[in-house]
Amino acid sequence: MLTCTSLRAGYGATTVVRDVDLEVGAGEVVALLGPNGAGKTTLLLTLAGLLPRQGGEVDVDGTPLRSGRPRDAARAGLVLVPDDRSLFPALTTRENLEAARRRGGPPARSMLDVFPALADRRDVPAGSLSGGEQQMLAVARALVQEPRVLLVDEMSLGLAPTIVESLLPVVRRVAEEHKAGVVLVEQHVRLALEVADRGVVLVHGEVRLQGDAADLTRDIAQLEAAYLGQGEGDEGS
Amino acid sequence: MSQHVSFLLLGLANGAVFAALGLALVVTHRSSKVMNFGASAVALLAATLYAGLRRGELFLLVPGLPRSVEIGEELGFFPAALLTLAISALFGLLVYGLVFRPLRSAPPVAPAVASLGIAVVVAGVITQRLGTRPQPVERIFPAGQLHWGDVTVQKDKLAFAAAVVAMAVAVWALGRFTRFGLASRAVAQSEKGAHLSGIPADRIAAANWMLSALVAGAAGILIAPIVPPVPIQYTLFIVPALATATIGGFDRIGAAVAGGLAIGMLQSEVAYLRTQHDWIPSNGAAELVPLLLILLVLVARAKPLPGRGVQLQRTLGRAPRPRTPLLPALAATAVAAVALVLFEREWRAALATSLILGTVALSSVVVTGYSGQVSLAQLTLAGVAGFLLGPLTTDWELPLVHTQLPFPLAPIAAALGAAAIGVVFGLPAVRIRGLPVAVVTLALAVALEAAWFRNTDLVSSSGKDVTGPTLFGLDLRVGSGAEYPRLGFCFLALGVLLVVGLGVARLRTSSLGAAMLAVRANERAAAAAGVDVVRTKVVAFALGAFIAGLGGALLAYKQGNVTVDSFSAFLGLSLFATVYLAGITSVSGGVVAGLICAEGIAFTIIDDHLSLGRWYSTIAGVGLVLTVVKNPEGIVGPVHELLLRRRRRTVSAGAELGAPAGERPRRRVPGATVLSLQDLRVRYGGVVAVDGVGFEVAEASITGLIGPNGAGKTTLLDAISGFAPARGHVVVSGRPLGGMKPHARVRAGLGRTFQAIELYDDLSVAENVVVGLAAGRGEVDDTLDLLGLAGLRELPAGELSQGTRQLVSIARALVGRPTVLLLDEPAAGLDSTESRWLGERLCDIRDSGTTILLVDHDVQLVLDLCDEIQVLDFGSVIASGPPADVRNDARVRAAYLGGVAEVVA
Repeated sequence: MLTCTSLRAGYGATTVVRDVDLEVGAGEVVALLGPNGAGKTTLLLTLAGLLPRQGGEVDVDGTPLRSGRPRDAARAGLVLVPDDRSLFPALTTRENLEAARRRGGPPARSMLDVFPALADRRDVPAGSLSGGEQQMLAVARALVQEPRVLLVDEMSLGLAPTIVESLLPVVRRVAEEHKAGVVLVEQHVRLALEVADRGVVLVHGEVRLQGDAADLTRDIAQLEAAYLGQGEGDEGS
Repeated sequence: MSQHVSFLLLGLANGAVFAALGLALVVTHRSSKVMNFGASAVALLAATLYAGLRRGELFLLVPGLPRSVEIGEELGFFPAALLTLAISALFGLLVYGLVFRPLRSAPPVAPAVASLGIAVVVAGVITQRLGTRPQPVERIFPAGQLHWGDVTVQKDKLAFAAAVVAMAVAVWALGRFTRFGLASRAVAQSEKGAHLSGIPADRIAAANWMLSALVAGAAGILIAPIVPPVPIQYTLFIVPALATATIGGFDRIGAAVAGGLAIGMLQSEVAYLRTQHDWIPSNGAAELVPLLLILLVLVARAKPLPGRGVQLQRTLGRAPRPRTPLLPALAATAVAAVALVLFEREWRAALATSLILGTVALSSVVVTGYSGQVSLAQLTLAGVAGFLLGPLTTDWELPLVHTQLPFPLAPIAAALGAAAIGVVFGLPAVRIRGLPVAVVTLALAVALEAAWFRNTDLVSSSGKDVTGPTLFGLDLRVGSGAEYPRLGFCFLALGVLLVVGLGVARLRTSSLGAAMLAVRANERAAAAAGVDVVRTKVVAFALGAFIAGLGGALLAYKQGNVTVDSFSAFLGLSLFATVYLAGITSVSGGVVAGLICAEGIAFTIIDDHLSLGRWYSTIAGVGLVLTVVKNPEGIVGPVHELLLRRRRRTVSAGAELGAPAGERPRRRVPGATVLSLQDLRVRYGGVVAVDGVGFEVAEASITGLIGPNGAGKTTLLDAISGFAPARGHVVVSGRPLGGMKPHARVRAGLGRTFQAIELYDDLSVAENVVVGLAAGRGEVDDTLDLLGLAGLRELPAGELSQGTRQLVSIARALVGRPTVLLLDEPAAGLDSTESRWLGERLCDIRDSGTTILLVDHDVQLVLDLCDEIQVLDFGSVIASGPPADVRNDARVRAAYLGGVAEVVA
C-alpha cells in the first residue's frame, strides 16, 4: 500500500531522517518505534506531505506523491493523525468531523457509532474535550475520510493506559476490515507490538532494527539496547 | 435626552461605513490572518466604478487604455451594482493570486505592507485617471425623515445602517451554516488540521479573499451616494475601520459591526457634546474615539510575554552589519556636497529634501528595521519637532536673557520633545505585539495630527513661522527668492544626515543594537538571554523619535513655515512604504529611501525628463508590492547579498569546528548545592504538568533530566527560568527566585537554551553570543574558545550546521557566566559523532565551574555524561541517582518501554 524509498527529511539545513525505506502492505499494521528525537514524527509529517522531502520517493498503491503537497496525500487516501491532534478547537465535535467528511463518504454520524463516548459530546467545542476524547476525535476525523493508509503519531501521549488499550483495537480493525495500511508510532512499545504485525525501530534517523512483532517482543535485550543505549559499564566523564 | 439620541443616530451613517469596512477586514483576517490595509481601497474602487456605470460609463482603470467606455445607456441600480460587485470579486481574486498567496507563509508584516502598497496603487491610479473632482451619485435609499417623539432620524441613513447589518448577518450565516463557512473557520483555526482533513486550504483562502472584496465593494456602492468617491476621503476610513475590526478581535463579526456603529455614533455624540461643553477640544476629539477604543481593547487583551511556539522570524530581512561605515559615508558625503554645489535651484532643493527625509527614514530603520516595532507614526513625530520649533524660535523667550533659544539648541530641544512623545507612542508596544502596534501608532498619529497640527486653536491655518538657524554669525538659513536654497543650509542638512547615519551604523554594532535585533527576532529568547525587553523597546522608540525630530526640525527650517501638509499621517504611510521599499533594515536603505521619495532628487530628475511625477506614488506602490513579495530586504538587498558573498569567500571555506583553545580545565569535585527545587507545581488549566518536583543540584556537576514524551521536562525548565507560572520554590546559590521575571533570573545566575535554539540568523556567531552579555560580565572570546567556535566568529549563524548552532546557542547562554546552565535538548538533531563532541564540550563547561541541568532524549548521551540523573514521568520524579542505578531501575525501563520487561515469559 505504502512504499517509501531512501527517504531523507528534516528542517531547513538539518537532516533528521536519513535514507529510510519503509513498506506497509494492505491490511498490515507496522509499529514505528524508537527513542525521541529519532525522527519518527518527522518521517510521518513528510509522508503526509506537510514537510517537503529532502530526498527519496513516496508512493501509495503505485501513485507517487509529490514532495510537500498535502493534497496529493489526501487524494491518495493517506491520512495522518498527528501527535498534537491538530483539531479545530472552537468547532464542535460534530463540526470537526463534518469538515473532514468527503462527498459520498460516510456521514459524520457514523463515527459516533465507532466511538460511542463521543456521541454525548457531539456539540462540545473540541478544545473543551478531555485528552482521551480529543484523541478519539482525532482518530475519528481520520477514519471518516476512509483512509487507505493511516498514520498515527503517538496516540497514547498523555493518556492513561486503559484508554490507550481501548483505542488500539480500533486501529487494528481499520487495517483488517478496510484493508488499509497502518503505521503506528508509539512510546508504549508493549501495547504497540500487541496490535502490530511488524515493528521498525528508528534511532538517530536510521532504521536500527526491524522484524516481526512477535520476534521483537521475544528479544527484549535488543530493543532495550536500541532505546537506552549499551548499558552497564559505560559511564564516561 | 432626545437630542443625544438624535445625534447618536446621526452618526449611524458613518458608523455603518466603518462597520462595513471592518466587516471586510474581519472576513480577510479570519480566513488568512492578514491585516488588510487595502480594504478601503477596494471600497473606493467599487464606488468609482459604480458611479461611472450609473452614468453609463465603464471606467477603464488600466493606464494606457482610454479613460472609459460608453455603455450606451445609464444603468439602473441593480445592473450597475452587480457588475461592480463582479469586478470587485475578480479584483480580490487577482490580488490573492499575485500577492497574498505567495506571502502565505511570510510573517504577518509582509502581507500587511503589501496591502498598504495595493492601497497606494489603487488610490494613485484612480486619482490619475479620473482626477479628484467628486462626482455626485444618485441616492440608493429614499430621502425623508422619520420621527419618534422628539427624536428625528433620516431614512436613508437608517436604511444604510440596516443594509450593512443585513450584509453582516448574511456573512455570518454563510460562515455558520455552509460547508464553505465551516471549512473557512477550520482553516483559520489550524492550517495543519485543514490539510489533515483534506480541506483545500488554498481554494478556501482564494474564495475568502473574493468574499472580502465583495463586502468591501458592497460597502463602496452603499457609501458612494453619501461620500463621493474621492480617494483621500476613502483613505481616511482606514483608522476607524481598523478600530472596528480590533474591537471584534479581527474575528467576531457581531462585535465588529456593533463596534463600528458605536464608533460612528460616539463620534457624532462627541460633536454634539462639544457644543455643550467648552472643555472638549474642537479638534481631535472625534479622532480620539477610535484611538481610545483600540487602546482599551488591545491593552486589555494583551499578554506580558509571547507564549511557547513563537517562531523565529526572518521578518524584515537581514540587518547587515556595517563593517567600515566611515569610508563609504565620507565618499557619499563628498559626492553629495559636490552635487549640491553644482546643481541649480530646483535640483538642489530636491536634494536637500532627500537628505532631510533620509534622516527621517533612518528613524524607521531604528524603530522598525532594528527593533521590529512597526511604527507608522515616524513622520508625525517629525512633525512634533517641526511644530515645536516654531514657537521655540519665534515666540518663547528664555527667562533672564529674553531671547529665543539659539541654534543648535532649539532644534535639539524640539527633537527631545519629539522623543518624549515617541516614548508615549511606544508604550502600547510594550504590552502589544506585532501588527496591532502598527494600528495603534497609526491611530495615535491621526489623533495627534487632529488634536494639534490641524487644531486651529493651537496653530493658525497659515502655519507657524520658523526663524532660520544661524550659528555664531554663520548664516545657515535656507533663504528665499533667488537665493533659495542657500548652500549653508544644504550643507547643514547633509551634515546632520552624515552624523545620524554614522550614529545608526554605530548603534547596529553596539550591544544596544544587538539587544534590539534580539527583541525583533524573538522576544522570549531575548528575555531568556537577559535582555530587558521593555527598556529596549522604549529606548528604540525614544531614539527613533529623536532622529525623526531632527529631520522634522530641518524640514521646518526648509519650509520656513510649518503646516500639517508636510507631516500628515498619510504622507507618513507613504514614507514608511518607501523606506520598506528601499530597505528598512539598514542605513543604506534609509538613505536610499530619502533619495527616492516623492519630492526628492530622484523624483525631480525623473519628473523633469519624463513628467512621470503624477504617477510616481503609484509606481512606488507597485514597487513596494513587488519588493515585499520577492525581496524582503528591499532595493538594497541584492547589493548586500553580493557584498556578503564576497566576504564569505575570504573566510576559510569549510571552517571546521576547531579544537577548544587554551588548557583543558581541571575537574573540580562537585560541591555544595547550587540549585534547589522544592515542591514545584505547574498547572495549565485543568492539566497538572509538573506535580510537586523537588531535588537538588550540586555545584560543578552535570545533572540529567530524562523521561518519556509529555513527562513535563521542558515545563520544568520553563518553571525554573520564569517562563511558566509555578508554585513552590526555586533557589539559586541560596537566593530564592520566586516571582522574578526571566531576565532578572538571568542576572541572578541562570542561563538557558531553548529546544528551538532560536538563534538570530542575521547576526554572526560572535554577535549572537554578545546578546548574552546583556546579563553582565563574561568575555565573548573566552566562551568561544571554550566551545571551539573561535574560528567561526564572523560567520552568520544562519549558515551553520545543526551541531554548531547548538554550540552557539550554548555559548550565548554561557557568556553571561551563569551559575547554573539549563540546556533544553542540546543534542537534538545531532548524529552520534556530533553528540559525542557535544558531550565533551559540556564536560569542559562543567570542569570550568559551571553547573549544568540538562534535558535530553538521547538517553545514551545522558547516561554517559551525567553525574546524577532525575527521571520524570507524568510530572513527578520517579527515580533519581547515578547513571548506573537509573539504567537498571525497573520503573525507568517501564516508563520508557511501556512495560516491555513484563512481557518476557
